Amino acid sequence: MPSRTAVGFIAPLLLLMIVVFDAPILYMLALGFWSKQGGFTTEHYGNLLEATVYLKVLASTLRISLIATIANVLIGYPLAYWMRSLSPRAQLVAIALVITPFWVSILVRTYAWIVVLGNGGIVNSALINLGLIDEPVRFLYNELGVTIGMANVLLPFLVLPLFAAMLRIDNRVLQAAASLGAPARTIFWKVFFPLTIPALSAGALLVFILSLGFYVTPAILGGNRVSMVSNLLDKLINEIPRWEQASAISTLLLIVALAIFAAYRHFDRRVQS
Amino acid sequence: MIGSNALARRLVAIAGIAGLIFLIVPLVIVIPMSFSSARALTFPPPGLSLRWYEAFFGDARWMSAMATSASVAFVSSLLALLLGGLAAYGLRRAPVRGEGVIEANFVAPLIVPTIIVAVALYLGFAKIGLLGTYVGLVLAHTVLSVPLVIMVLTVAIRSFDFRIEQVAWSLGASRAYTIVKVVLPNLAPNVFAAWIFAFISSFDEVIVTNFIAGTWDTVPKRMFNELILEINPTITAVATLLIAFTMLALAAVAVLLQRTGKLRPTML
Amino acid sequence: MKRRAFTHLATAGVAMTAIGGVARAQVKEIRIIEAGGKSGESIDEYIKPFRTKTGINCVRENPNPLGKLRAMVESGKITACLFELGSDSAAQARGLKLIEPLDWDAIAPQPMFPEARTEFGLGYQYFSTVMAWRKGVKEPKSWADFFNTKDFPGKRVLPDYPQYCLAFALLADGVAPDKLFPLDVDRALKKLGTIKRDIAVLWKAGAQPPQLLNDNEVQYAISWSGRVAGQPKIAFTFNQGMFDLSYICVPKGAAKEERAAAMKLLHEMTVVQNQAKAAEVVSYTGCSPELEALLPKDKINEFPTTKANKSVQWQQNAEWWRDNGEMVDKKWEQFRLNL
Repeated sequence: MPSRTAVGFIAPLLLLMIVVFDAPILYMLALGFWSKQGGFTTEHYGNLLEATVYLKVLASTLRISLIATIANVLIGYPLAYWMRSLSPRAQLVAIALVITPFWVSILVRTYAWIVVLGNGGIVNSALINLGLIDEPVRFLYNELGVTIGMANVLLPFLVLPLFAAMLRIDNRVLQAAASLGAPARTIFWKVFFPLTIPALSAGALLVFILSLGFYVTPAILGGNRVSMVSNLLDKLINEIPRWEQASAISTLLLIVALAIFAAYRHFDRRVQS
Repeated sequence: MIGSNALARRLVAIAGIAGLIFLIVPLVIVIPMSFSSARALTFPPPGLSLRWYEAFFGDARWMSAMATSASVAFVSSLLALLLGGLAAYGLRRAPVRGEGVIEANFVAPLIVPTIIVAVALYLGFAKIGLLGTYVGLVLAHTVLSVPLVIMVLTVAIRSFDFRIEQVAWSLGASRAYTIVKVVLPNLAPNVFAAWIFAFISSFDEVIVTNFIAGTWDTVPKRMFNELILEINPTITAVATLLIAFTMLALAAVAVLLQRTGKLRPTML
Repeated sequence: MKRRAFTHLATAGVAMTAIGGVARAQVKEIRIIEAGGKSGESIDEYIKPFRTKTGINCVRENPNPLGKLRAMVESGKITACLFELGSDSAAQARGLKLIEPLDWDAIAPQPMFPEARTEFGLGYQYFSTVMAWRKGVKEPKSWADFFNTKDFPGKRVLPDYPQYCLAFALLADGVAPDKLFPLDVDRALKKLGTIKRDIAVLWKAGAQPPQLLNDNEVQYAISWSGRVAGQPKIAFTFNQGMFDLSYICVPKGAAKEERAAAMKLLHEMTVVQNQAKAAEVVSYTGCSPELEALLPKDKINEFPTTKANKSVQWQQNAEWWRDNGEMVDKKWEQFRLNL
């Protein structure tokens, strides 16, 4: 097929993407260098260094994202590992259970945690009825609540690729190690786990990138006490219209996200090969 | 499973099941809550009723949000499917210069943090007056759905044997005729899957919508604002309907893919 | 194929533009962007007489973030010719040149409090920020009590808006109401820091404090008076509260005809009988000095500007916030980080 025809197939979408995605992003990048009087300025970036609070919000975002990612790994790895041991039919059911929440509105899932973890929620009433505690435990409106909510939403992004990678590991390799007399624990840590590291890293980085932009969960489960960059951006865009400052912060976030994505690509390629 | 340490195996099973429960507990909780007769969020519900469904269907604002959501999702998913399908075909069937960059551009909305897309579209749309318009909303949702369409369809087209097309051409079929009569029927399940994914992704979108929709209310936007304002059990009814709708759509995709033996590869 | 794809796109585009774009020949309808909630509903009481007299409808939209105003003005697409702004936002909008002067001759106002009549905005509604608590807990009498978490134990919910929050900390710290401005921000934040363990939530939406009090998630709140007034489980006091004015402004570049119609709606907002009806919808008060006589006697204590209530409160200083808002916002962000 001649290349010109291919361009014809691609051009309409490319045009849409340039107008509705690329141009706005570039405009946003440019706005970060736009002064109030018009013309070029670096004051909005200078501002970031001067009033370090915005950088601290970014750091806080990175920290919470890291916690959420670690929680994800701790829950997700055993889950994927267990799924690998199931029969093919049971695996299909498990995959379906992992995928379904993935497609159910993030709002629904976030909301459910209020019902489960609120002061009068299921967990607290159960604990009080069992006499384990006298006062409700504060799960919500703090970092714990945000972490739980984020881990729940992001888990499928880690589990699915990890499980797929684990399935690709040839059982004969493991059997060979066993026939040489290696104990199960050694086989897991010396053979199995190293083989899953690329997929685990890729999945964890993906989860981390997605965490950076979280908006709904901190807004609902954080009670505004948990500072994340997306809620700061919301404020700078909607409440105090300081768009230029918001652009500068967004640019910084974008750079961080792209750097992590480059790392992700690196690991993902190793998974594929 | 490696080795035969029974205790280790049991621990892994417990951890795995706990993880699965953690994943689906929100869904399992919301559904019974929606049939509660109580205003307060108590679980298990003290009695059963359909009052929150009545509240939902009886509220003109929810109904209009529903209509907006459905129409935006319908138009934007079709647009994404049409443009994305053509582009996926073009990308896989002919080498174009800068193909890698172009494809990366198409899937970029999935990688760039959504909040940045929201900020960029807000600023860009404000500049050209698309902010708060229906057209702006549809275009934004289209862009956000494109990566899903591209990802599903490039894989499908790659696995479809190119030689079949070549045979059709050699028999004198035109390009368009080949696509409509040969390629599309073969890829129908994947196209359907891509469309459903695009539809659901638009129907669920809240961050960008919240920034750029202006007075247009979609179901997720309304839910988000209600959740921040006050906890009203009507939301559980909306949530249950959304879950049911999503399950049905996914089941349809699964059945179609199963029939053609493509379920497993698509799911992973 | 290429051409067909473009034709599809073009057809879809035309169809969508037809839905999206609305051509206005003459003014049959104007739009107002308001704050939402019961306060927004109360505006209907001004719209009704306006519609009867002019035959023009007025559609309400909400909420009213300042960013929306900036977006409207910068894109040049003024979809609403009236925009409600809190006093500090109004001052800020004026600084950013986002609003234009009102035509007071066309408004022809009935008698109103002097602070409600400004060049760029009509103060249509008084509201107060007050301390509220769940009935049954120990009653605070002053802000010093509110900030005394030892003798008044319980979780607090405060606004995530420094302009509705900081001054109260200074009052608790012993500053006199008439000495509040210029605001000693660092001292206020330090005082707030002493109760940070008991701040359970910072609220963004006015509906949150009553919700959290009712659910017993918190026991004490800084809230807008109209949100907690008349709630059976909640008590509040105007004592040492802050009264403030919400202004209706005209976005810069609004169409002349719409603007002219809008002035007639603003006139209705100065009519005391309309204000009395609006006060039945929400416990906030209009700008007429004669309103008190028309307010419902059984709920008279709920209104911010009755003589008895206004005299124990102090007024927000919007100009100070306009000049210092940016500095405070950064410090506030820092405070939130340390929560």
